[in-house]
Amino acid sequence: MPLRRRADAGSGVLATVPPGLPVRLTAVRLGPADRLRLAQLGLRPGAVVTVRQRMAGGARLLGLGTSRIAIDPRTARALAVEDLA
Amino acid sequence: MSVGAAPACHGDAPGAPLDRTLADVALIGAPNVGKSTLFNALTGGRRSVGNWPGTTVEVGRAAWSLPGRSVTLLDLPGAYSLDARSPDERLTRELVAGELAAAPPAVVVVVADAANLARSLYLVAQLREASRRVVVALSMLDVAHRRGVTVRPPALAAALGVPVVALDPRRRAGLAPLIEAVAAALAAAPPAARAVPPGMGEDELSRADERFAWIDATLTTATGAVPVRPTATDRVDRWVTAPLAGPLIFLAVMWAVFQLTTTVAVPIQGALGSLFDGPVTTGAERVLTAVGLGGSWVRGFVVDGLIAGVGMVLTFVPLMIIMFALLALLEDSGYLARGAVVADRLLRAVGLPGKAFLPLVVGFGCNVPAISATRVLPGARHRIMTALLVPFTSCSARLTVYVLVAATFFPAHAGSVVFAMYVTSILLILLVGLALRRTLWRTVGTEPFVLDLPAYQRPTLRLTASVTWARVKGFLQTAGGMIVGAVTLVWLLQAIPLRGGAAFGHVAPEDSLFAAVARALAVLFAPLGFGDWHTTGALVVGFVAKEAVISSWAQTYAAADPTGGHAPADLQHHVHAAFAASAGGATAAAACAFLVFLLAYTPCVATVAAQLREIGARWTAFGIGLQLTVAWTLGVAVFHVGRWLA
Repeated sequence: MPLRRRADAGSGVLATVPPGLPVRLTAVRLGPADRLRLAQLGLRPGAVVTVRQRMAGGARLLGLGTSRIAIDPRTARALAVEDLA
Repeated sequence: MSVGAAPACHGDAPGAPLDRTLADVALIGAPNVGKSTLFNALTGGRRSVGNWPGTTVEVGRAAWSLPGRSVTLLDLPGAYSLDARSPDERLTRELVAGELAAAPPAVVVVVADAANLARSLYLVAQLREASRRVVVALSMLDVAHRRGVTVRPPALAAALGVPVVALDPRRRAGLAPLIEAVAAALAAAPPAARAVPPGMGEDELSRADERFAWIDATLTTATGAVPVRPTATDRVDRWVTAPLAGPLIFLAVMWAVFQLTTTVAVPIQGALGSLFDGPVTTGAERVLTAVGLGGSWVRGFVVDGLIAGVGMVLTFVPLMIIMFALLALLEDSGYLARGAVVADRLLRAVGLPGKAFLPLVVGFGCNVPAISATRVLPGARHRIMTALLVPFTSCSARLTVYVLVAATFFPAHAGSVVFAMYVTSILLILLVGLALRRTLWRTVGTEPFVLDLPAYQRPTLRLTASVTWARVKGFLQTAGGMIVGAVTLVWLLQAIPLRGGAAFGHVAPEDSLFAAVARALAVLFAPLGFGDWHTTGALVVGFVAKEAVISSWAQTYAAADPTGGHAPADLQHHVHAAFAASAGGATAAAACAFLVFLLAYTPCVATVAAQLREIGARWTAFGIGLQLTVAWTLGVAVFHVGRWLA
């Protein structure tokens, strides 16, 4: 799924997804440089991620395949997601 | 940006022979894939390594023997791509593209994490857009195996169009095939660039899309299905990163680090100090006496200059060994990344990432290893900012002076005064941090915090030992000379007579050049209420080491040194009288101003030496200026407010 795509009306943002529920990223609402950086870590539209845990300070621990990625609350709010179903 | 954007500039033409007698081979890869460990394994270069994203913050360089030739192996800073965002990544990009040398590296070895292959291959995708000799070193296969991921190196090599070698740098397995692969790549012509579909070079995002599609296609043919199942790391992380347990575990770890670097190291430091003050000094004096130099200035130079300086350097060694070993263990195990996440929100307020917590905590034990510990920070700006804040952490050496001054001027409230100094230290760190963020680094702390957490792994003794030794050696090489030089300079000032007709090396303290310098500087401290040369002299000596402030006072007053086990009453009487004379009636205010100045001004010459090593001369000079400005301004404010209140 191309990086260029922006979500028009996703089902929510990652910050509101409960732990354990796999969701699909639909958009990364950050500037181009940050979007590219997240994409290089695998966080790009189309990727399936699971919030594995809420962490101290409001951060989220994400599972992306075999990777474990910590993101801050602001970034979690910038990731638009949709349910897999 | 990619090196493929201009193949003619950055790559060798296909089919062209390699006409270099000493070629460069560059190791690149994402942070935390074992790049520096591989560099050490290949060259014995003892580079800084560790299980922390971004540990490699300098470019390692060492000779590497290949069959029939020797090459220069470069260890470049960790980078996910050749898109330069941070200074470290920019350096990697420029070195790979050959912008900082006569030619780009002849072979680029991309160290790829088999457990997270997709992100490692972005670099390969960029490099393959030019005609470059590329070898992929596939590491972390054990981690991938534990997670049920299968990677087929031959299929991966076929899909990427470059050799792929499976290896384990931590256990030094698979190095011979890598050597063969690099030697073969050097002997062969560079492969043609991979075909990029037309219309994909217009902007960076469309280029990135094309690369991700190429990577996806590669992974489909070369890897097995990725199962999503909880790992041991996940089970540990449930506790270690939990909202409540995470900070408690983090504080416990920090407490353990602080305790080990202070309570364990202090007796060893004391024993080493006694060794130099006792047997070494005695032995040197006997030798000098035997050769007829016992009463000469040579005795003072050797004993009070060289031996005292070398002794001081060596007393830091146990502290540094413990600190660096702990740091290596935390890095190599993977815990430090979790600690960074836990502390991130707290420190983000002053523009620092969570991992800056560690050096700041260590600073309350000793500033010298704390400055060195800033290496855990991947960003240059964060390293500089933390290294500038560490001197404001109140180290244990300052504690002895607090105790003496508090007991002298506030005997009924000495404990509260000492506690207040630690609170003041924390406030200073926050305020100076906020000031730096608002002036010098306005964008620090505003970027998204996204951190790839490495899997936990059992630290290896060899890795921990080699990292510790490399860092201790680096400290001794850079800081040792400066510390010995500064100690010798103070001795020289104290040995040169300005009046009284005494001989060189046999001068009374008040007649020495040291006293003249202290008298000249005393005028600067009059606004703080302690413009007395004895006190100023003690502060000058305190620039060399805070441990020496009290003994300097004792020496200039010819009083018994309480640090030597004598009762401090005699010295306290002299110090109290000096403050009373210089403070114009506001003795307590002057004492408070002195304490604040002592807290905020330059901790010691060893800290300066460590700063020089870590952040360079320009920022070190800025830091000294900042400390003196803050200390003096705060001292003036405290004295005048205190006098007004009194």
